[in-house]
Amino acid sequence: MKSSIAKHVSGLLLPFVQVFGIYVILFGHLSPGGGFAGGSILGASMILYRFVYGAEASDRKFKYHYMLKIACTALIFYGLIKGYVFVGAFLGWHNPVGTGTVGSLFSGGFIMPLNVLVGAVVAITFYFIATLFEEGDFGNADPHQ
Amino acid sequence: MLQCLTLVTHNTASPNLVKLIPLVSIMLLMLSAFIMPLLKKKRHLFGLTGGALAILMVLSFVNVAYIYQNGGYYFDIGHFPAPFGISLRIGEIESLIALLFAIVDLMVTWYAYYSLEKEIKESRIAFFHTMNLLLLASLLGIVFTNDVFNGFVFLEVSTLAACGIIVVKDKKTNIKAGLKYLILSSLGSGLVLMGIAFIYSLSGHLSMDYIHEAMIANLDGKQNTILISVILFTVGLGIKGAMFPLHIWLPDAHASAPSPSSAILSALVIKAPVIFLIKVFYKVYGTQIIHETVILDLVLLFGVMGMIFGSLFARSQKELKRMIAYSSVAQMGYIFFAIGIGNTLGVVMAIYHIVAHALTKSSLFLAAGSFIEQTGFKHIEDFRGIGKEMPVTLGIFTVSGLSMIGIPVLPGFISKWNLAMASIQSDKLYLLIFLLISSLLNASYYFPIIINGYFGEENLDGKVFLSKSKPIKQLLPLIILTVLMVLVGFFSGSLIEFIERGVYTV
Repeated sequence: MKSSIAKHVSGLLLPFVQVFGIYVILFGHLSPGGGFAGGSILGASMILYRFVYGAEASDRKFKYHYMLKIACTALIFYGLIKGYVFVGAFLGWHNPVGTGTVGSLFSGGFIMPLNVLVGAVVAITFYFIATLFEEGDFGNADPHQ
Repeated sequence: MLQCLTLVTHNTASPNLVKLIPLVSIMLLMLSAFIMPLLKKKRHLFGLTGGALAILMVLSFVNVAYIYQNGGYYFDIGHFPAPFGISLRIGEIESLIALLFAIVDLMVTWYAYYSLEKEIKESRIAFFHTMNLLLLASLLGIVFTNDVFNGFVFLEVSTLAACGIIVVKDKKTNIKAGLKYLILSSLGSGLVLMGIAFIYSLSGHLSMDYIHEAMIANLDGKQNTILISVILFTVGLGIKGAMFPLHIWLPDAHASAPSPSSAILSALVIKAPVIFLIKVFYKVYGTQIIHETVILDLVLLFGVMGMIFGSLFARSQKELKRMIAYSSVAQMGYIFFAIGIGNTLGVVMAIYHIVAHALTKSSLFLAAGSFIEQTGFKHIEDFRGIGKEMPVTLGIFTVSGLSMIGIPVLPGFISKWNLAMASIQSDKLYLLIFLLISSLLNASYYFPIIINGYFGEENLDGKVFLSKSKPIKQLLPLIILTVLMVLVGFFSGSLIEFIERGVYTV
């Protein structure tokens, strides 16, 4: 899709889509939304970028091995935090973050950090799936691999 | 004050830490699975997998030892106790199966270290390990869980991960087999989900013990709903556990996958749903309800059909791995037969046969994989005289094959003998005929390979002694699996006693 209209319009639109995605992720514990919903909005914005600006520009911006590292690190941290909660519930440890004041951004204990991690994983997975359908393999998309 | 504190920590810490083992083992595997894509070198990949599995094995062994002394326990995950949150129930059977899974997977990984890159692309090795560890974590989850919906979630994870280790070879047949498995397995989990929906509407709970209580309390007039839900569970889990008419995905998937994947699929993946099915029968519905329905007779019928037809199909196969895959269908038939007999000894022997078959079939698949890797052939015809070229590997194959046939002392004999006893106990003498026919059929397709491998003038003609044999360090995992299998046969008495303590029936 090499239309200049699409490029201009999506260039205007993308920042707003991404800010909205980040908002949905960050306020997941206070309002409707959360990691999965916000992550899918972010992922959709990345897919839009890929379709409008072409695979090469997109591969330069979102490098495969960095994305993979971010997704795996997010999953590992998710596992560690959730594991801490499960093990801590059994051994009677206290939540080090605390619940905070109800309604403020930094409240709800571990929910917000977990939402951020889920959002990162979901956005990257959506983008990877779109790449996979387009290219057939990740290997072609990345010279470092 | 300080003394009081140490007393408190001592009191709470020392017995509790063992109860963390099930959770920690699942978490350890899942975390290591996602470190894999970040690693590049083969040594690091195998080192991390091996390390995680070795830790898992030690933890599972500690768990078995603890349960041997103190009995089973419940573990509530998170801050919410059982009826609302998820709980794990780890008894004798679950801990034993976890130890078995850890040992078999560790041995398969050890074997894969020397042979995996000959079968799959090097860039796929990290993917294989991610999927392998995720698969093991989900299977442990299915075995441990005391919550039917949690079991369903783990079933889905295991389906996807098992697909991953089938398609890792990147050949057309693999992708076809993987899709076949994916579609049938998703159908199976869908049926399980419908079964869960039915029992949830009956009981209002998802935790097994609470469902059971609620069902016993308002039983009358609900017989049809109970029958529908139990059939949905049986068919859904039967697809995943390769119950006879639903086994059609198994031969393709097991024969086309790389040998380590075949060993894992055959030894572990089809076993966990069976454990879940036994739990559904005896923990969710309970002995009383299950005996009022026809389901056990159906399971018995399918088991008998699997024993006979699985062996007949195996007999007619030309490829070695396909033959072993069909033999898995026959052996799963024995397990369903044991469940279908419906008395305590039957269920105990189902669990015992799961242990025996996992060890036997993984060593058979790895031995067959070594033959194929060293000679390059696939068909049974071409393995004449292999006993001169690879005597130790064929020896391992022979011992495992003898166990499948049911030669005394080996675990196959123990399960067949006790299955016969269980049939007599439940006054179904005609079942002995099927056991005999199935054993003879087993002999009819394992013996020709062994005899043509070791004996016959024209078979051994032109073969050089030990010419294709693998070095001892590559054969060691196979030898360990075989030794463990023989030990399972030798110490069957105490093993069966241990399983009997944890069995759910009354």
